[in-house]
Amino acid sequence: MSHFLRIGRRRLIGLGGMSLLLAACGRGSVQTQIEQKLFELSDPLNRSFEQLLFSSQRLAPEFQRKDIEPEALLINTAEDFPPQIDPGAYRLTVGGLVEKPVSLSLEEIRKLPYRSEIIRHVCVEGWAAIVQWGGLPLVELLKFVQPKPEARYVFFRSAEGFRNSQGELYGFYETWDLASCVHPQTVMAYEKNFKPLPANNGAPVRLASPIKLGYKQIKWVSEIMLLAALPEQLGYWVDFGYEWYGGV
Amino acid sequence: MTAQATPRKPAIPKQALAAKAFHWVNLVTLFAMMGSGLQIYNANPVFGGRAGYHFPDFLLLGGWLAGGRHWHFFFMWVFGLNLLWYGLYVFFTRRWKNRYVGKNDLEALQKSTNPKRRNYAVHRLVYTAFIPVLLLALLTGLGMWKPVQFGWIVAMFGGWQALRTVHFLTIPTVLGLMAVHSLLALNVGQWKLVRSMFT
Repeated sequence: MSHFLRIGRRRLIGLGGMSLLLAACGRGSVQTQIEQKLFELSDPLNRSFEQLLFSSQRLAPEFQRKDIEPEALLINTAEDFPPQIDPGAYRLTVGGLVEKPVSLSLEEIRKLPYRSEIIRHVCVEGWAAIVQWGGLPLVELLKFVQPKPEARYVFFRSAEGFRNSQGELYGFYETWDLASCVHPQTVMAYEKNFKPLPANNGAPVRLASPIKLGYKQIKWVSEIMLLAALPEQLGYWVDFGYEWYGGV
Repeated sequence: MTAQATPRKPAIPKQALAAKAFHWVNLVTLFAMMGSGLQIYNANPVFGGRAGYHFPDFLLLGGWLAGGRHWHFFFMWVFGLNLLWYGLYVFFTRRWKNRYVGKNDLEALQKSTNPKRRNYAVHRLVYTAFIPVLLLALLTGLGMWKPVQFGWIVAMFGGWQALRTVHFLTIPTVLGLMAVHSLLALNVGQWKLVRSMFT
């Protein structure tokens, strides 16, 4: 994601680029205000429309092993190198509004139900890739921890406390609606294209699903928390201005 | 009787208000969709990926990828709903019966030796061609936005890259049709015909 975001951040700050329609208006800041207004007007409509179309039961198309496009899945990472997580020391904690909070090692995750799926991964940039994910269906993990009835959203934390090449601390986070989390094809993946998940793709465990855009599929997940309402911080990319729902 | 009246001025063509409204909204919307569409295109060019050709900034709308998407996913509603109400209007007012290309035009194209009749037929053919192209842009866009719900659209085009390519190609097609439509309108009815559709 560095590609689109780095451009995005720079442009957002620099307010560059006049448009065809707004050339007469002069400054890009006018355009940024209009763009924000349009987003405020259409995002609730788009989200409702997407949720209307969405069904936790409808499966996204699945493909054959020969359809996998290993080269097409681009690495989009905000930081210049991925966090190196020791799989032996790794823990995934699940808490918040659940009856049975847990902390699982990779070994324990592997013993839970497994699902393999060959799906189309769609990126916000417009490209897509057929990829195989293997891992623990999130719905199975949720059944395991037993969400409380008031739980509506799921918060994911990732790669907290790692430093980039400049020595700056970083961490990522993402929030999903519960309906998308219990979709059968939403998995906590530890396998890509039938091989152990590479660090660049989110090892040891990442969120993967054909029903959300790539930027919603957070890598290096370390903590899952069930919430009754959305927190102020919605997601790493979302807080830069990308839409929260990001459904496919 | 005032038989000695001054020579008649050529009639100013009149257009239905609905046709004018449709033209205005459609024109503005198409440019918004193209500018923001090219912004999204540049995030990962359809041809050549990241190494491919990127469109220059002055053609783009939205400033960055998320901004381009905000424009695109706002104006898609304007674009789609404008097509819908105009389609219903054309249907219920029966304009579809004689306002679009018909058998008589195709016959004129083959047989007529009257250049004006032929021009007229070509023009009707060209503006009728907008309908499938605009609907195709909408269909391919829907397929890319919601490939899970509309997997059949992706399958219909044979895959993601083909779908993206067709969606992109609606831009040059629409621009080409716009150019020909404007030139033929000028040819058929001069500036006053073009003006009548917008004022």
